[in-house]
Amino acid sequence: MKLSTKLTLFITGSKLVIVLLFVCALPFLVKHIASEYTNYTLLQQQKKVLNIISKNGADYYFDGDETYGSYTMLKEEFIALLPVRDDLKMDTIKDSQRLIESDTLNYRVLSVTFKDHNKNYLLEIGKTTTSINQYDKPLQRFALYVLITLIALTILIDLTFIRILIRPLAKIINSRLINRKFPFKDKQQSVDTSTTDFIYLDESLILLMNQINEAFHKEREFTSNASHELMTPISILQNKMENLLAEENLDESTSVAVVEMMKTVDRLKNITKSLLLISRIENEQFIRREEVSPLLMFNEIIEEISHRLEEKQIKISLSISADVILEGVNKDLLFQLFFNLVHNAIKFNRHEGQIEIKDRRLNDGSYEITIADTGIGIPEADLPYIFNRFKKANLEGNVGFGLGLAIVKSIALYHQIQIDVQSKINESTEFKITFSPTAKSSYREELLSVPNV
Amino acid sequence: MKVLIVEDEKTLAYEIKAFLKKSFYLCDVAHTFRTGLEQLELNQYDFILIDLSLPDGDGLEILKRAKKSNPDAAYIIITARTNLKDRVSGLDLGADDYLAKPFYLLELQSRMQAIARRKFNITDDLLPIGEFNIDLQKRLVIHDQQKIELSRKEFDLLSYLLLHKNRVLTRVQLSEHIWGTFVKDDYDSNYIDAHIKNIRKKLNVWADTEWLETVRGVGYRIKK
Repeated sequence: MKLSTKLTLFITGSKLVIVLLFVCALPFLVKHIASEYTNYTLLQQQKKVLNIISKNGADYYFDGDETYGSYTMLKEEFIALLPVRDDLKMDTIKDSQRLIESDTLNYRVLSVTFKDHNKNYLLEIGKTTTSINQYDKPLQRFALYVLITLIALTILIDLTFIRILIRPLAKIINSRLINRKFPFKDKQQSVDTSTTDFIYLDESLILLMNQINEAFHKEREFTSNASHELMTPISILQNKMENLLAEENLDESTSVAVVEMMKTVDRLKNITKSLLLISRIENEQFIRREEVSPLLMFNEIIEEISHRLEEKQIKISLSISADVILEGVNKDLLFQLFFNLVHNAIKFNRHEGQIEIKDRRLNDGSYEITIADTGIGIPEADLPYIFNRFKKANLEGNVGFGLGLAIVKSIALYHQIQIDVQSKINESTEFKITFSPTAKSSYREELLSVPNV
Repeated sequence: MKVLIVEDEKTLAYEIKAFLKKSFYLCDVAHTFRTGLEQLELNQYDFILIDLSLPDGDGLEILKRAKKSNPDAAYIIITARTNLKDRVSGLDLGADDYLAKPFYLLELQSRMQAIARRKFNITDDLLPIGEFNIDLQKRLVIHDQQKIELSRKEFDLLSYLLLHKNRVLTRVQLSEHIWGTFVKDDYDSNYIDAHIKNIRKKLNVWADTEWLETVRGVGYRIKK
């Protein structure tokens, strides 16, 4: 799940929980507030009445009568004043029933005794409980609406802010990790953000990539330098042997020994040259501007290698369209790539085996060449490693130096050609080489002019 | 013919000199940029072999200056530097050929022969061998005016052997000549044998090919 989604979900969730708690508590809260407020108004009214009595005397209310009582028209409130026994003392607020004009109603009643002119009086002020609770429902509803609006508003603000906040992360991921081709050659520009965590992440990634680059660069430099340095001693050895072989008074066995030594030096030379070739490809020292017809190229390869086909009596079938031209390629490198693959198809084939070379156009506009053999196959566990240098998956017969496929891989990478391998042990191996229409090296179809008959 | 070898690797210079001496070239050796230039001031040469990486200067600079003092000489660059830029600028500056180290001395010699033929206008490219004639220019093998079809590699092999006649050429020397800079992943000894077998088969139809000898354990030789 995306970080922004997670954050949003979390924030929304936590807010909902709080709202839910609040909504549950709301009726009690409203009730409590209403009853507290009623008590407060009752006390205020009591204060007012007592104030008047202390100023004007209780007779101001009695007006000659024994008792005083008054209520509002709907009997929502009442007030009563009456003389009581001297020893009665009261100061309470509680819910109780009162009978007013044959109606028994529930009231919140404040009862208080006080003295005026040495007489004891009882003052009662009441308010119907229904009138206390009459605002509960609308109040609750109103509070709920306000709450929901507020929450929606804050979630919206949160979402926008989270998005802005997290944007640099997406930028870091996009510019550093996705769509990056190794080696990372283009200059790194730090992502613009004020969040220190992102700055730290970005800087760490740049640092890491630079380290990888440096290590890769060093490795390439080493391969290149080492192969170069080896060339001179190999030269000397090779030429010394050549001179030795040209000596006139050399006996046969010495000649044979010198030739064997020459073969070994030749092998050393080929390994070194292979490594140098790979490092030169990786350093992009080849021009990719040539055009080549795959059909002509395969014909040339088959001619070069025909003695090996004859030797193993391998049947080769070639069906490559004559109208396809590969462009933006290095001819020599491409020749080397296909040669190595065909060479392997022969080398690891069985006696009287078959090789099938064919092409097709894929739906996405790619052009694919397949080289399939009926050979000993590659164990599945070895498949991921066959392009590694000095990796020899098949150890039967003449396995070579283990650089053939490494060269193939580096040429393919350099041309942005895709290579896939499928293999069934003791049955077949199939290499698929795909030229994408958008890659550096692509292809086109030549419309062949049809001669007039 | 006089040859100047400008090569800082003493042993290598010595081997080149020893090899060329056998083919009656007169060789001077310079191990540094400075001595190379000195030699060029003092003498006129037919061939100048220049290593590009010298301890005290760039071989290309020697080439540039030598072109003035020795305008008629043939220049061959010998170097471990294999990048295209050096190669192109070397050839641009007027080098006649470019050999990447390590090379076989045999290859060096045949390049020199080829340059000599070109420079000194030797057009007589019809070489007789046995009952056959080989036309190096048109790349043909002729028997009694009958053209014999050889594949490209077969012709290369035959003409190479012929240019170095009476010398045993090993399979690695031959395959290096045929493949050039192409990188092989394994040593394929049958490769040369298969081609020689084919050459013999094709020529034997017309006349015998006793002159093409197999030297057991070593290689092949054209004897004349």
